[in-house]
Formats: sequence, C-alpha cells, structure tokens
Amino acid sequence: MLKEKIENLKKQFLAEIEKISAQGGSASGGRPSDEALFELEKKYTGRKSEFIGILKSLKDLSPEEKKQIGELANNTKNQIWEIIKNKRQEISENSFDAEKEKIDVTIPGKKKSAGHFNPISLVRRDIEDIFVSMGYEIADGPEVETGWYNFDALNIPKDHPARDMQDTFFLDAKDGEEKLSMRSQTSAVQARYMEKNKPPLRIIVPGKCYRREATDTTHDHTFYQFEALIAGENVNVGNLKFTAQEFFSAFFKQDVTVRLRPSYFPFVEPGFEFDISCTVCGGKGCRACKGGGWLEIGGAGMVNQNVFVSAGYPRNKYQGFAWGFGLERLAMMKYKIDDVRLFHSGDLRFIKQF
Amino acid sequence: MKYSYSWLKELSDTKLSPEKVRELLTMHSLEIEGMEEKKWNFDGVVVGNILEIKKHPNADKLQIAVVETRLIASLHTEKLQIVCGAPNIEVGQKVPVALVGSKLPNGIEIKEAEIRGEKSFGMLCALDELGLGIDHSGIFILDSKAKIGAPAKKYLGVEDDTIFEIKVLPDRAHDAMSHVGVAREISVLENRKFEYDFDGLKLPRVKTQNFASLRVRIEDKELCSRYIGAVMENVEIKDSPSWMKQRLEASGIRPINNVVDATNYVMLELGQPMHAFDFDKIKSEFPISNFQFPNKSQNQKSKVQIVVRKAKKNEEMELLDETKLKLSENDLLITNGETPLALAGIMGGKDSGINENTKTIILEAANFNAVNIRRSRTRLGVKTESSDRFEKDIDPNLAEKAIVRIVEILEHTAGAKLEGVVDVYPNKIKSWKIKLDLNYVNNLLGENVPQKETIKILNNLGISTTIRLHIVVCEIPTYRLDIRTQEDLIEEIGRIWGYEKIEPRPLTEPVIPAKINEILSFERKLGEIAVGMGYDEMYNYSFYSEIDAKNCALDGVHPMDYVASQQPPKAVVHGVKHFELSSPMNPDQKYVRVSFVPNILKNIKTNLKNFESLNIFEIGKVYLCHPELVSGSGFRIESGMTTEKRMLVMSQVLEKDKDAETFYSLKGAVESLLEKIGVDENGGSTSIMEVEPPFPATWHLTRSAEILIDGEKIGMIGEINPIVLGKYKIGKRVAVCELDTQKLLKISQKEIVYKTLQKFPTITRDISMLAKSETKAIEIQKLIKKIGGNLVLNVEMFDVFFKDGVTSFAYHIEFGASERTLENVEVDEVMGKIVVGLEKELGLEIRK
Repeated sequence: MLKEKIENLKKQFLAEIEKISAQGGSASGGRPSDEALFELEKKYTGRKSEFIGILKSLKDLSPEEKKQIGELANNTKNQIWEIIKNKRQEISENSFDAEKEKIDVTIPGKKKSAGHFNPISLVRRDIEDIFVSMGYEIADGPEVETGWYNFDALNIPKDHPARDMQDTFFLDAKDGEEKLSMRSQTSAVQARYMEKNKPPLRIIVPGKCYRREATDTTHDHTFYQFEALIAGENVNVGNLKFTAQEFFSAFFKQDVTVRLRPSYFPFVEPGFEFDISCTVCGGKGCRACKGGGWLEIGGAGMVNQNVFVSAGYPRNKYQGFAWGFGLERLAMMKYKIDDVRLFHSGDLRFIKQF
Repeated sequence: MKYSYSWLKELSDTKLSPEKVRELLTMHSLEIEGMEEKKWNFDGVVVGNILEIKKHPNADKLQIAVVETRLIASLHTEKLQIVCGAPNIEVGQKVPVALVGSKLPNGIEIKEAEIRGEKSFGMLCALDELGLGIDHSGIFILDSKAKIGAPAKKYLGVEDDTIFEIKVLPDRAHDAMSHVGVAREISVLENRKFEYDFDGLKLPRVKTQNFASLRVRIEDKELCSRYIGAVMENVEIKDSPSWMKQRLEASGIRPINNVVDATNYVMLELGQPMHAFDFDKIKSEFPISNFQFPNKSQNQKSKVQIVVRKAKKNEEMELLDETKLKLSENDLLITNGETPLALAGIMGGKDSGINENTKTIILEAANFNAVNIRRSRTRLGVKTESSDRFEKDIDPNLAEKAIVRIVEILEHTAGAKLEGVVDVYPNKIKSWKIKLDLNYVNNLLGENVPQKETIKILNNLGISTTIRLHIVVCEIPTYRLDIRTQEDLIEEIGRIWGYEKIEPRPLTEPVIPAKINEILSFERKLGEIAVGMGYDEMYNYSFYSEIDAKNCALDGVHPMDYVASQQPPKAVVHGVKHFELSSPMNPDQKYVRVSFVPNILKNIKTNLKNFESLNIFEIGKVYLCHPELVSGSGFRIESGMTTEKRMLVMSQVLEKDKDAETFYSLKGAVESLLEKIGVDENGGSTSIMEVEPPFPATWHLTRSAEILIDGEKIGMIGEINPIVLGKYKIGKRVAVCELDTQKLLKISQKEIVYKTLQKFPTITRDISMLAKSETKAIEIQKLIKKIGGNLVLNVEMFDVFFKDGVTSFAYHIEFGASERTLENVEVDEVMGKIVVGLEKELGLEIRK
C-alpha cells in the first residue's frame, strides 16, 4: 500500500513539474520559474511533505517491509531531488545574460605599479649569483678608508708615482690626524679580508668607489667596481683566464674569450689589462669594439707578494689573482647605455626602463 | 709620451710597419693610446732658381725676384716674378717657391697678388712658413744641386712619420720614457738583441782636457746622487738641423735653438733630462784661489762653481718661463754657490739661460731624488718633461751616457768644443742579482715556458744569466730599476713570450662552500621588497654641498643620532660632523653625506618635472665623523675616526595629499616591509612614536616619528619640514623614512615558523567611536587587545575621519579561539567590556 502511495507521489510529481515547466512559457524554453520550483520542492520533500510522512511511518512496519519500502522511498526521494537539482541548474544556466555584461576588453588595464632597480643593482645581482655559484664569498669593507688599506697595504707607498694613477678624494684632516680618503678601489678590502682569513680563499667585493676624475659620458667620479681575489698555493695566470672566461660567458650568455695585455698596478705582478672578445660581433670587428674585436674591461693580475706580506702571510707561500672591473661598464654593455652619468642622474625616465 | 716611429725604426732596425709595431707593443709591452700619421704636405712648393733681384720701386724693404721654376704638370721651366721681403736672397740660389694655388702648412693660401703696384706670382718660403721651425729671418736656401722645378720636399730634409702616443706606467717610466727604451722593447719583441751602442756611451769616448774652469759640489747627497757638468766653448747658437727639429716636434717639444734642442733631444732619446747654462752668465762671486789655470792667460775666462743645495726658507727665484717662486727648505737648487741657477730637476732659472749671444755653456746631466722632485713640483705647481722623468726615478748611470751623447751632438750642430767634464758620483749604483726559480716561472704563469726561450728573452733584455739546475741567476742592468723580484722577471718572460700562449685552466684549489654575507643579502632582500611595493631605486653620490647641509639642517648632528644618543646637550654641540673633501670636484660636492635627505630632495625636484607622484628608495651608507654617538653599527676605521652606517631610505610624493595620505602611505609601506622581514613575528614589538625633543629640524615638527623596535630606535619616518622643502622649491609634501639596515637585520626573523591555521570559525564585530583629538589610535588598539585578551585575534581600523576637533574611529574586531567555536554570547560579553573600557579609560563616546 505504501509502495503504491510512493509510486503515485512520484507520478504526481512528474506531472506537476511538467505542468509548471509548461507554465514558464515558450520564452523560458520550457523551464519553470524559480519560485514554482521552490514550492514544488517544499511540497514533495519539505518537512511537512507527504513523503516525509511516509518515511516517518516506516517505523511501524516489519523489518523486511521496512527495508523494502525504505529503500524505495529513499530512491524516489533522491530521484525527485535530482530532477529538481537539474531543473534548477538549467534555470540558473539559462538566466545568465552575457550580452548585458559585455565589456570593452581593449580598454587599458589597471596597472599594479612594481618598482624598478637601478641597472647597476641588476648587474651586481647577476655577478653575485654567478660567483656564489662558483663558491665565492661576497665581502665588503668601508668606503672611507685609511691610507694603509687604500694604498700602503696594496704596495702603493707614500710618494710613489702610482698614487697618482688614481686621483683620490682625500678628506680634510687636522694637523696630526691621519688623512683618510674615499676609497679609490675595492682592492682596499683585500688586506682587510686576508687579515682575517687564510687561503684557500675566493671572494668578490662589489662596491662604491671614488676617484677625482672629470666626468664625461664614460667617466664618473663615483663608480662601482667588483673585485675578485683568489689565493691559494697553486693559483696561476691560466686560472685567472679560465675564471674570467667562465664568468663573462655566463654573464653575457655567450661564449667569450679573454685576452691579457701587460699593464701595471702596484698590487699585482705580473699585471694585466684585461679584454674580452666583443659581445656584439663576437670578435669580428664592429662599431662597439671600434673594429678591433676586443672590449677593454679593466685591470687584473697576480697578487703582488708584498700585498700578501702586508696582510700577514709569509712571502712566497701563496699565489693568487685579483681583478677590479667596473659595474657601469658591464651595465652599459649589457643594456646598451651610452652615458655613464645616467646611473647617478636619479632620472626616473631612465630607472623605470629596467 | 709621444714617440716618432722613424726614430724608433732607426734605433731598433725594425722592418715592421707602424701598425705592426703598434700591435706588437700593445700586446707585449706598452699601451699605445694613439697613432697619428705625420705627413708633410708641400704640394705646390717647388725648387726655384733666383735669376735676378731688383729693388721694389715703391717699397724700401721689398725686393722683386725673378725665379726660374716649373709649374706643376708643366714640362718647361718658366720665369716668375715674386715680391719678397727677406734680405738674404742672392742670385743663383735655389729656394723653395710656393706656387699660386698652393696651401702652406701654416695655412697661408698662395694667390696671385699685387704688392704695392708690383705683381707677384707666388712666394719664396722661410722655414716657419713651411711649418719647419720658427725661423722667419730669411728665405730657406736649398742645396745648390737641387733640381729646378722639382718638388721642394725632398730637399727640405723632411721625412713623413707616424707618431705613437704611448702610455708609460710608473713601472716602466725608468726606461721606457725614451726612444731608446721603446726601441729596445721592439728589438726584444722581434727576438733580437738591441744593437744601439748603449753600453758604449762612456765618458772616455769624449776627450776631456785638463780642466779647471768648473767645480761642482753636492751639499745634499740624498737629494742629488750624481751631478755631471760639462763645459763646451765656441758654441754657435743657431737653428737645429731640420731632422732634429722634426723629431722634437714629433714628440711635442718646440724647437728653440741648437743647444736647448740638443738637451731635449737627448732626453727624448735616452730618458735623461738635461739642462744647459750660459757659462758667462754664472758669475761666481767668491774667491777661487785654489783654481789652477792650465791654459795661457789669453784664454783666461771666469771660473764657475756649481753648488747643489737646499733652498733657504722663502728664498726666491725666477724660472725660465718667468714664473716667480718662493721656495721652501725642501726644494733643491742648482746654484753658483750664491744665487739659484735652476730649480733642480724641474726647470732652469731665467738669468742663467741660453740666448743668441751665448758662447760657452755648462751642460748638466744629474740625478735627483724622485720623491723630493715630486713633492717640490707638487708644492710649487711646476710640472715639466724633466720633473716627469725625475719623479719616477731614473738610473744615475744614464747621466754619463747622456753627457757623452750631447757632446757628440753639439760638436756637430753647434761647432762646439768640449773643454772638460766634472762628474760627482759618490755612491755608484751597480747592477744587482736575482735568483729566478724556473719552476716558479711555470707555476705562476700556469704554462711551461721552454728554458731556452726564457734565457733568450732575458738576454735580449740586457739581463745576463747564469744557470744552475733550475735556478737562473740574473744580473739586472741598472736602467731596469723596476726589476727587483722574481715576479718582476716572470712578468718580463710572460709578456714577451706571450700571454696568449697561456691556456685557460680551472682552479685546482679546493672549493669550500662560501659563507653568506648576511648584511649584503639582507639588503638585497630589502631592495626586492621595496621594488615589489612599487619603489624605484636611486643611486646618489655620497656628496652634497655645505648649503645642502645648512638647508636640511644637517650641519650639527645627524638627526637619528641626535635623538637616540640620549647624551646631554653637549652631544648636539659636538655632534656628528661632516667629513669634507680636501679637493672636491666642485663646491656642490664638498661634504660627505651624513643623511640621504639632500640628494633625495634633489631626485624629487628633478623628477617632479616628469612625474606627478614618486616612490623612490636608496640603499647605501652615511659616513659619520665621530664614533662615540653611534654604537656598534657599520664599519669602524681602525684609527677611530669614522663610522659608516648602512641605511635603507624610502621616500614618497603623492599627486594629491589629503588627510596626510603621503605620510600614511609611506608608513604603510614601512609596516608592510617590517612585516615581510618578520620583525613582529620574531617577538619584537614595533612602534612608531612621536619624536622626543630636541627635535631635528630636517623633519616636519608635527608629522614625524621615530621607529622603535623593542624600544631601540631603528629609524625615522616623517614629512620633511616645509621650510626645507621650500629651499628646494618643492611644492608637494614629501615623506621620507630612514631605516638602519644593520639594526633591522639583527631583529628580523631568520627563519619562518609555520603557525597552525585557525580551525574554528571566527566572529567579527564592528565598533565605532568618537574621540577628542588627544586620543591616539594606538591607545585604542592597545586597550581593545588588552581587554579582549586571547579572544581578540585582530583589530583593524577601517575608517577614520576628523570633524570639529573630534575624531571618529571605526574598527573591525575579529574574535576566535583556537580550540572551539565561540558562542555569540561570549563575544557579546567581551564586546560589552570593551565598550565600557573605552568609555571609562579613554573617555570615548561609543556610537551605537
């Protein structure tokens, strides 16, 4: 009896849903209104519905009937729910009118303003990453330096013509006070680091340096260098070439060869002027390298034994190489910047390009 | 220095072209900074034969010459009438004729002309007109065998040349600031011995007579290690031969006369600066009783003494170029025992110089202490070719070679006769030995240089060698003062053998994991955060002007330390001073920064031309003069003078400022940054509090704050004082914050520790209230947290406005518990307490 009742309810439900669907009219595509569907749901599955009444009355039946009827009632209820759910989905999917929401996608977006690094920072980060990957420590030191670290410890004694090689910014000092200077090269960190560390060591020192030079498109009195210093028992010129070659190849993301020419810096012996194959033409000769196929990068050399001695190492126990290259030069090559003064210009039209 | 290729070629016997020589020197020896062809252009200047000379009818000083010559591209000679002013022409002479249409090296264009009614078809040339000297005294007379009508160039003794500009660094200045030095390099690089008879330049090569008219005394042997004086008589002062003048000019030295030119020529050839005095102008006003006069009495002439001594304090002298100097006791003089004749090694004096009447000369080749020359010339501001060489130290043995060479030259170019030479050389410099380990050569270069090659290179350089197993004993010639160590020798071997032959090789040293540089990587992270928040990075100079310091009220003390020092008022008086540059590029960059503010304001000023709003930052250092005010951060130079402080500085300018939005927006950025580096997570408590007096005037009095973390001051944030902004003509509000990165690093969170997510639902209630203006937002927030205890998870202000002296605050308060779902009643109860608390403790009016 209950079974029939359930089946009737189902038939009744199907008929009704058909009916309310039809009531929606052809404009609705044969779908009932939201409200009608809600009423129908309430009527058949709500708390006070006949269906719930049936389920409640199950408790008076025998276990076997309970199982049989219960299953049927549940299935039917689920079917009803399923149908309603589908109808509702149908309604919601079709009630959305995309036309009304149309936007002009070509209107410019609302930008999130990310800031910009100065290109020197970008180059510096690249360099640091490459050297860290090769096991180098990044060291630093003061920019206001004593004569000892900026000159004497680097084998540039007082009154030596080599002190003229860099025009140094000295700081005013009272009589009897030591004359300090703005460091003229990152090499000033060499002795500072070596006093505290023993070979084998490999460091780079990126940092701000100062020289009293007239400024033009390729010179500024304030500039950034990165020093490399490697010391051990068997470090040689071939190692310098290899290390530099690896670094520049990684930095410029192309195969770079290096060339050494004789030069003189008091803190190295032998000393080199350092060139790399032109990164624009690969060495064939172009405007960037003035046809020569080589680009001048900076000074390098094998650490002078006097520098080791100044740092407290025994003479001729260690060998090492060092170089000091300009970050601006690398940034200018990398980003094709034609005026070194832009880096310190503070002009956001420049900075915002990076 | 400038070098003549043709001179180098003659000295070195090279067959290589200038380009090849350049390449060879660049790769193995010296940097060639420039190369310039020197071509003599005398197109249109031909040999003419003077047929006739007439007086000019209308001018006393002019003559009319009729010259036989050949026009360009013409087969036949022609007669030309040319008006000429020079008195030295005679019929039958061959002279250079500049034809009509030619252009001379001095720029004159020759045109057909009429001079005082007489037609002139060209010009007879004097030396200066040909660019060959300064002599304008007469027409240059060519060799009588010169072919009429031929280009005059081949008879003018000129040679096309190439000029090298070579950068000689201090290590090679001892030998390579001379043509002989560079020619020796070229020979060595061509794997040959240098053939120039350098060793043969010895005093016995010139005849010295028994000689008594010159005496030399060196008072200070430290400052003058050698002095050679040579007396030459019968000197005829005139122009130098043209080959010599060309070589001088090639090296950038103006020819003067044969004697002065010879001193310069020898300097350029050998590197030894020289000087010539007029013997007769050096009156030695002292009795020379012990002088013997070997010659007959008719040859008797004055006797001269030369004394090398230090100047007296404030002693005065006038140099050749008429500069008047006041000397100090450290300057060295060449004197006649009394008055100064020359500033030793730098420049001769005006009164003892050579002129056209000079008959007898004293030639000086000496050696002076490099350091002293350098100090003198720096102090006196006189820099010459001579001081350039002496201050870099040259071999005292060079003096002898130079004197021999100049005597030979002046015998030819001035018809002069050597009377005698005096050489005072108390401590003779001899060659020295270095033991070179061949294994070390290979070990340092990283490549095996064949032993034979090594020895050949050394020998070609003039270094004699003795080999014992793998040790080479090297005897270094004195002209290579730079070679003192094994490494110096290895450099010679490496560069001449060729660095290009050294293969790149990976390091064999063990790789040890690198230590992380904490502060640098922390600053890098700060940069990333700043950029992520939309700030653009500035790089500023570390300098600004005295006016900047004044304008920004920085001339007393750095504002951060000013406040934090907690020193008695004297700290302000003796506060952190600026370092000042002794010689700045310009007065705008005299001070070394103690604050970023001046340069940041300049950045803002610059960029407001192009942008309405700015977010900028800079990471860098300030440099403080007195360390006692600054504790523990940055570097301290051992002499105890300075402390450098690392800073992150951010600055903000908005298009429009409403309700102090500029300040709050920067403050928000700082808060986000502190949150990002985990300051609060680390247990620290950040507070941004009003500045305690005395108030630093850089900042806006009522819109600035100190940033404290756990009570320690780590920075400042605030608007810049409008008076300061006015000085920079900035019309917008500017907010700046300065953070000490070293201190930030100390309190930042090293590792992130995950916290369990809130499992149970939370309840958010809103509350709004009216406060009298004295009530601070932070007090409200603190009180809510205090009353709510653990149940208050978050207090967030969502609205604030000011009206009629009353502030309205509105907060979201989020409640929750970690172990259960809160009931509404519990929250109601806490809210009730909060309301009561706010009303009672802060006197707020809660809006219902």
